Amino acid sequence: MINRLIQKLFGKQAGEESKDIAKKRLKLALVCDKLEVSEDILKKLQTDIVAVISRYFEIDKTEFNIDIQRTDDLASLVLNTPILRTRTNY
Amino acid sequence: MDGKVIVVTSGKGGVGKTTATASVGAALAQTGKRVVVVDMDIGLRNLDVVMGLENRIVFNIVDAVNGKCKSRQAAIKDRKIDNLFLIPASQNDNKNAITPEKMVEFVKELKKEFDFVFMDCPAGIEQGFENAVAAADEALVICTPEVSAVRDADRVIGLLYSKSITPKLIVNRIVPEMVERGDMLSHTDVLDVLSIDLLGLIPMDENVVVATNTGTPIIFNNQSKAGNAFKRIGLRLDGHPDLPIEVPSTKSSLWKKIVQKFAVKK
Repeated sequence: MINRLIQKLFGKQAGEESKDIAKKRLKLALVCDKLEVSEDILKKLQTDIVAVISRYFEIDKTEFNIDIQRTDDLASLVLNTPILRTRTNY
Repeated sequence: MDGKVIVVTSGKGGVGKTTATASVGAALAQTGKRVVVVDMDIGLRNLDVVMGLENRIVFNIVDAVNGKCKSRQAAIKDRKIDNLFLIPASQNDNKNAITPEKMVEFVKELKKEFDFVFMDCPAGIEQGFENAVAAADEALVICTPEVSAVRDADRVIGLLYSKSITPKLIVNRIVPEMVERGDMLSHTDVLDVLSIDLLGLIPMDENVVVATNTGTPIIFNNQSKAGNAFKRIGLRLDGHPDLPIEVPSTKSSLWKKIVQKFAVKK
């Protein structure tokens, strides 16, 4: 009882309660969960992108590389491909 | 008119799906509706013991779905409520013993005989979940105010939306003292995180354990806060969608009555 009073007077400030930590962690976890991409989808995306790029450039398909990179606050799609030559028939 | 088919699901295990299915089913049956509760947790059946009907099982859902018996034979009548029935899960088959297509066919028949068909979904999002959800018109998602349960609920809600089902949420095992202290997510915190409408709030209640011990529906205990909350959910599901949701609180019921009286006079 007295402990709680002391806590209220001096200790816990707003935003420090454990449920706030829970909520923050939960929100972050849900965002990350939704950014997760399966290998399968990434492969399909790769096939599509290679097809589009190949219309304009001749590329080395074996060196084509696609990846999702994450930092703390954002995720980015990184793709890397060597261009052999441009297509001239466009 | 065909009855409503409602799947009770959660993603995470142990949050109270089975208790909720039994309690809401019993609450609706007590108001005179014809209700069947179906245990979809094949291999790990539990709805039968929660309802106190474990000694009466002859046929099960796998038998009924695969035509080895009639649905009427598989439906066990409750001991106390006349128009409440249970179709138990089978204990020896695996989840592949039924398919979503067969479930849809089977539930079509059930709908004709009952006002409400509740399906107690197994934990997880695999075959058992698919079987249970395939035939459902509506869904209730149960979660407790914990990080793990809310996260799994979010996943399940997403899956239900992708199947064109708009689920409703029940937050179970709320400890008002902890919420007031700031040591438990409140229902508004949970709703902030999840994109879903609320159906009801159930306080943590020791009486639930006692009711499960004896296999009697918690709604028979008029002193039980959880039991009364389940009854309100039943009412909200059937004809009283605007019945206010009671937020579990530490205040005594007398105090609540006084507050409510003043609120009305104003």
